[in-house]
Amino acid sequence: MKAPTADKIRRRNVRALCLCLAALAALLALFTLPAYTFETALFTKKSGNTFVGDERYVQARAEVDEKAAAYAAHQPANTVAVAEEVTTRVNSKGETTSMVAFRVVLRQSKTAWDFIASGLSSGGLLLAALLCTASAMGLLFAGLPGTLSKTPLRLSRPRYLLRQASCVLALAALVCVGVFPLATTQMLERDLIARLGNPATPALEQLIGRAEAFLLGGMGGDQASELLAGVTYHSTVWLWLNLPALLLMLCGMIALGRESVTRTLSRGLLYLFVILLCVIILYPYYVMLITGFRSNAETTDMYFTNIFPTRWVWTNVPDIIHRGVVRFLGNSLLLSGGATLIALCCGIPAAYAMSRMRFRGKKTFLGFVIMSQMFAPIVLLVGISQLMNFLGLNDSILGLMLINAAFNQAFAIWLLRGTFVSISPEMEQAASIDGCSTVGALWRVLLPMAAPGIVTTLIFVFINSWNEYTISTVLISTPFKKPITVGITQFSSFNMIEWQYLFASALLATIPVVILFMFIEKQLVSGLTSGGVKG
Amino acid sequence: MNTISVRRKWEPYLWLLPSVLLMTVFVIFPILIVFKLSFSEISKAGVVGRFIGLENFRAAIADRAFAGVMLNTLYWVVSVVGISTLIGFIVAMTLNTRFRGRKIARSIVIFPWATSLVIQASIWNYIINFEYGNLNNVLLNLGFLKDAINWRASYQIEFIWECGVGIFVTVPFVTFCVLAGLQSIDDAYYEAATVDGAGFWKKLTLVTLPLVRPSLTVSTVLNIIYVFNSFPIIYTITKGAPANRTDTMVTYLYMLAFYDQRKGPATALSVIGFVLLCVVAGLYMMISMRKDEI
Amino acid sequence: MKKVAALILAILITVSCIGFAAAEGDITLDVIICQYGNNTTNWFTGTGINGKSFVQLFEEANPGVKLNLEVVSWNDVYTEVSTRISNGNAPDILNIDTFADYATEGLLLPVKDYCPEALYNDFFPSFIAQSVIDDTVWAVPDLASARAMYYNTDIFTEVGIEVPTTWAELEDACLAIKDFYNGEVYPWGLDMTTDEGQAAFSYYAWNNNGGFVDDSGNWALNSDANVEAVKFAVGLYQNGYTNPRPATQTRYDLQDMFGAGKLAMVITTNQLPTYLKEKNYTVNFGTAALPHNEGAASGATGVMDRVMAFKDDAYPDQAARNEAIGKFLTFFYSPEMYTGWVSMEGFLPAVSSAVSFLVAADPSFEAWLSVLDSCKFYPTAKAEWIDVKQGVINVEQNALLGGDVKALLDELQAKVAK
Repeated sequence: MKAPTADKIRRRNVRALCLCLAALAALLALFTLPAYTFETALFTKKSGNTFVGDERYVQARAEVDEKAAAYAAHQPANTVAVAEEVTTRVNSKGETTSMVAFRVVLRQSKTAWDFIASGLSSGGLLLAALLCTASAMGLLFAGLPGTLSKTPLRLSRPRYLLRQASCVLALAALVCVGVFPLATTQMLERDLIARLGNPATPALEQLIGRAEAFLLGGMGGDQASELLAGVTYHSTVWLWLNLPALLLMLCGMIALGRESVTRTLSRGLLYLFVILLCVIILYPYYVMLITGFRSNAETTDMYFTNIFPTRWVWTNVPDIIHRGVVRFLGNSLLLSGGATLIALCCGIPAAYAMSRMRFRGKKTFLGFVIMSQMFAPIVLLVGISQLMNFLGLNDSILGLMLINAAFNQAFAIWLLRGTFVSISPEMEQAASIDGCSTVGALWRVLLPMAAPGIVTTLIFVFINSWNEYTISTVLISTPFKKPITVGITQFSSFNMIEWQYLFASALLATIPVVILFMFIEKQLVSGLTSGGVKG
Repeated sequence: MNTISVRRKWEPYLWLLPSVLLMTVFVIFPILIVFKLSFSEISKAGVVGRFIGLENFRAAIADRAFAGVMLNTLYWVVSVVGISTLIGFIVAMTLNTRFRGRKIARSIVIFPWATSLVIQASIWNYIINFEYGNLNNVLLNLGFLKDAINWRASYQIEFIWECGVGIFVTVPFVTFCVLAGLQSIDDAYYEAATVDGAGFWKKLTLVTLPLVRPSLTVSTVLNIIYVFNSFPIIYTITKGAPANRTDTMVTYLYMLAFYDQRKGPATALSVIGFVLLCVVAGLYMMISMRKDEI
Repeated sequence: MKKVAALILAILITVSCIGFAAAEGDITLDVIICQYGNNTTNWFTGTGINGKSFVQLFEEANPGVKLNLEVVSWNDVYTEVSTRISNGNAPDILNIDTFADYATEGLLLPVKDYCPEALYNDFFPSFIAQSVIDDTVWAVPDLASARAMYYNTDIFTEVGIEVPTTWAELEDACLAIKDFYNGEVYPWGLDMTTDEGQAAFSYYAWNNNGGFVDDSGNWALNSDANVEAVKFAVGLYQNGYTNPRPATQTRYDLQDMFGAGKLAMVITTNQLPTYLKEKNYTVNFGTAALPHNEGAASGATGVMDRVMAFKDDAYPDQAARNEAIGKFLTFFYSPEMYTGWVSMEGFLPAVSSAVSFLVAADPSFEAWLSVLDSCKFYPTAKAEWIDVKQGVINVEQNALLGGDVKALLDELQAKVAK
């Protein structure tokens, strides 16, 4: 790359600074737009057997209007409304029935400033975000003078630190704004609405007081709790737009004095993509964790009251252990370990022959290997079970090991052969000359060199055996011999699915494999490189 | 290929013996049993009877659900294999660039692969539940939604979810196959391309794709086989309901065999599936590996 | 390192072989039990009975007889049983719902061969009568459940309507509830899943003078009454009165919705109260007879599962084997075991000796027992039952998608009658 000229750097910095300023302006503007809309049902009246215009209707309407007027007196204009809904039906006897429902509703929207002013806990986050942004910009301007006029290719140490600090502050602001809706929901749902019936504590009373002032304009009085229970609220798009604004500001700051804005942006997008990817991938595991430690009742909470368990039920773990999960895990380890060893013991010689020797029928053998993959084990259930019966291997883990090893032969041979091919045979030839037998050369020379490929094969076979389900279901009948995939089906019985146990065991079953994977990730990729690609 | 001179003619076969023995006994033998069963009468309880020729095949194909199930299978295999290959390729490209936390990201991408399909399917089944599922819970509590959404409003949408879960669990495999391919590409190629003034797209189509193609072929062939034979996702989420509208061939033949107790046609179907798979995977390999030595 | 690996492999293989060896001299019975509830496995093979398992207690009480007892989930039990039968490896004792296929193919032992006289006389005769083919009893009932309509009393009070007894009233009630709650409460629970859709068929057909068979016991699936019944049930869905996905929402989903107060009425088993208690739901509910069509008799649905013994011609001492099976049954149906099991699962008993124990423990049982008397059961003794069961589920699911009920039932009838 050509070294950028001083003029170019200056223009680049100006652009970055403009981005920061624009983001700041956007942020301030967004703060004055509605962040949340609140709808509070002040009064509801349903009148059955009522037709629009009849006596009952007039009476009900008058009552509702009176209530509405009383509420409207305490509130800003146009926030109190009366909604009327008429339902008319003909029933099975041919009679027409009608029901009228009246609702007096308080509709209002609150901006970020309102939240900050209300003294509610989540408002504090917005205040913090604002302070962070302000000080970030302040620090930026403190380091500014030299950056724009003079043009050093690299920022001087103090300026670099200032810029770094402002980046961190902007990031903190981003996090605060991101957490704000979560905190608001938590505060309103868990701290307030869910506890309205509970005995009052000072903290609760204070919260009720503030919420009442914030949401009802101080007219709640004795009814405050009742009215607050009827609050529904929704975040608006403006609230969420704060996040991209802050993100842009962050990008501007990073770009300042370092690299082009577009490059920073593309870098940012890369990180965003990776983070998004990780979030999506980790989401089911988060669900496992969250649900695995809920109480049975809370797993099927149809009102979605809590994003996290109200109480983390750690006893779910002893419960599932009591019901044999550790035993099943042990069986699975035994099964997968055994299957992997058998697959390797049979696969390595075959792969060796395929890669080092010339003989007739090589192509036939390869076709045979690939064809053996084409049938799903599930389709072969009957055949496999019959075979196992014949061999006397029914209901034994050894039988499962052999089956899993056999069904993974194709992959094992394919991978191992590729690995062996990529290793030059000269070393073995040298070993042979030194008096080593073929087996000795394979054992002492080739295998150590092929370690990555072998590790890869090992992982593949292990995972596949670990995850196998259907054959184990049919072959294993003794409870204490069941592998984990089969063992956990006891949690989804005929009359109840115990989600919490199911997921706690699922988590437990996933951990060993994930740890194995984490340790071996590097080996895996290099093994595939030598194995697969040149295959 | 480098080859060690073989002293005895039968030696290679000796080396192959354990593998051949293992596969013959535990794979080929059951396959033969299934072939035999497909031409036999099988009672509801499961007792195997006399030879009845192609009757099972006729019964399987004559079933009203057959055409729909085959179409579903096509959608299922094409969408899951196609989309996960595309996504896997993009993810692999991303993970091949240098950035902070790449090691962690690579480890995380493996997760779906390391978790049993039965478990994955149960979790997603729970997640997308309308009444108490976690997706609604999270989105509602984060303020993204006003009201809970019925994520399973119709069977078409349910089928799309099933494909989505299929893609979710297949992407890691593709990613790692492609990543392996990418890592084996010599940087010199890219440097040469840069000198020639090639942009991102040019490099992608002229350098990356051709060099990654062998690994893509391998992962695609294996994926066609795995996805075609994949069973737990659909079985856990919809069981093929309503009326086989979300069934693929494997779940359909399972339901046929063990719910409807019509094992004869079910076995015939599995043979049909086998033949189809051989043809498709074989053709694909022939077309894409023509130039490469196997 | 490789040597260590080889050693480990050797050890693994030896260990799993040892685990597989059985003791000599004893008779070992292979038993398959279906998993009814979340405690079933623990009760039979864990520590569910005062720290011991059923198997342990049985083996202590009956030296010389060993049990290889497996509890299998309902999802997998058909797969496992039929695979084992295909391989000539049937279990000795099986607990499942259907028996006709096994009996007609000559796989089962007649009950009188192994069941002690005293125990045989203890079964409710009306239950035993459900397991007869060609004047031979092939299986004994292990438990029963009755279906009733449960309704949320709070919802009915709030809306101000009466509990419906006829279909017309049901539609009115559904409409009223739907209007009142603006769609936040589903008025009616409908389960037409692949697991249990045949129950839905019986709820409507039997309350419209229809049913699976006609008076002379022949299949009559496409009768006008049945067509009307299925149309009515599907109509409830099409009018938006039911849960949104009848084809995939199982009974647990419905029971959870009912417990959470999101479902006003549901037809389900008498185990519902046990379920609600276990999940800490505090809903107020009542029970009522299933709604019926105007002019039709009201019919309740009963579901019964069975225990049966398979033949094993290769076994040398048939008499000893029969005796061992008899011992198993006697022990299982003894009041100490059986009442504990039935009440744990919340089911209704199949033997009269258990009734007095159960009523003493929970007086509400009595009402259910009288319901059970009037229950109709599925025609499980007919060999085509499996086809019919899956067939009606298929018809229902097609009808939910807008298929023509009459044509679908005609097609099914033609297939089954053939």
